[in-house]
Amino acid sequence: MDVFKRLEETVNKQFDHGDLPKWLADPALEVARSPQLYQDNEYLVELLLQQVEEYDVYAEAGCCKWAYDHEDVARTLRWLKEGK
Amino acid sequence: MPVYLDCNATTPVEPSVAALVTRFTQQDFGNAASPIHDYGMFARAAVEHARNLVGKVVEARPDEVIFTSGATESNNMAILGLIAHAHKTKRRHVITSAIEHKAVLEPVEYLERQGFEVDIIRANSAGRFCVEHLAQVLRPDTLLVSTMHVNNETGVLQPLDEVEQLLTGHDALWHVDAAQGYGKELEQLKSKRINMLALSGHKIFAPKGIGALILRKQDGHFPPLQPLMFGGGQEQGLRAGTLPVQLIAAFGEAAKLALRMHAAREEKCIAFRKKVLALLSTLDVEQNGAERWTLPHSINISLPGIASDQAIRALKNVIAISSTSACTSHTQTPSHVLAAMGRSPAQVESSLRLSWCHMTPEVDWDAVATILHNLHKTKT
Repeated sequence: MDVFKRLEETVNKQFDHGDLPKWLADPALEVARSPQLYQDNEYLVELLLQQVEEYDVYAEAGCCKWAYDHEDVARTLRWLKEGK
Repeated sequence: MPVYLDCNATTPVEPSVAALVTRFTQQDFGNAASPIHDYGMFARAAVEHARNLVGKVVEARPDEVIFTSGATESNNMAILGLIAHAHKTKRRHVITSAIEHKAVLEPVEYLERQGFEVDIIRANSAGRFCVEHLAQVLRPDTLLVSTMHVNNETGVLQPLDEVEQLLTGHDALWHVDAAQGYGKELEQLKSKRINMLALSGHKIFAPKGIGALILRKQDGHFPPLQPLMFGGGQEQGLRAGTLPVQLIAAFGEAAKLALRMHAAREEKCIAFRKKVLALLSTLDVEQNGAERWTLPHSINISLPGIASDQAIRALKNVIAISSTSACTSHTQTPSHVLAAMGRSPAQVESSLRLSWCHMTPEVDWDAVATILHNLHKTKT
């Protein structure tokens, strides 16, 4: 399964069963469903996939940050839009 | 150009890995320790992404991955980093095997010079260290057991599953030098009993200069290591120095591919091996290391009566091969690994290592066969 399909599955799973909010799930799904727009930036799509997989509302809580929160996901989505 | 058959020394770099090195060198060159702007944020995101990918291969959490300059540094850190703990606990007994890489044997020799007690376990003719001998020398006060995963000279997979059984319930820390097998043999390194794992990037198609030490937490605590370098507190205070983002991102990509492409790569290596074995079956050769334990991508042989350097020179226009570990071949010292396996000096001095990968092109095996047959004739 390619990275775009995996992203779509993961976003749906994290939205339906996890804490991923709609305001992040919608643009992430847009990326997943537009491989023609983002195929040249697969590295960032992989990064987004990992961040969605390990999304945790409380990622910044505690002494160490070993998950990803809304700021991480939003930043990666912005980088994708900017064509970084 | 001859075909490169020295992949145990170092592998070629995967194109997608090389592309990331370029990207994080030329375009996204920020410092991961300066996440106060997009340059730094992107560098930090790349490092954490890579940490996750490198850990995933051995089912380690990202916070258990400490980036280093390579497996040699990781091995040194795992062994010498325990000195303070050893003095504090008065446990100064260390065990390792006779077929380890010098990056393990030399730090252990250093410990011995500092007053530690060291036991070196034997290897058998199959190329595996002897777990029975390990059981005999293991003591209640053993501080560290250091064993390798796959031998770099023979490609032989070591009996880590048996060591795991032996060490279950024992307090000794267990360090595994996985430089040669990480990303190639995927099962044994997942063991949660292994406390420390030394990894290398350039053996899995990443550039040289990057590796990692996996430190598995037990009850929320790292193994009791002290850093060997100071000055910045990076990598959880264990490895100071600005992170080489381009190399770390490359290592992460290589680790990702090692998992994702494992079956396809192994299939290619097995197909290549069949051709190597077909050639060798027509010659008077002896394999060093049991075939059943040897990973598909390498083989070590002895050509009776033909010196290694003579064979390497004769073959140099067709294939590029080596005679022993890349780290010791320049010193021209005979292989301590083959000697420990009970090979005679003549067998050791006529040994050759061929190692390949999924990127290795076709070899003119007829030319190789002709050269080796001619060498045999010259000998007789």
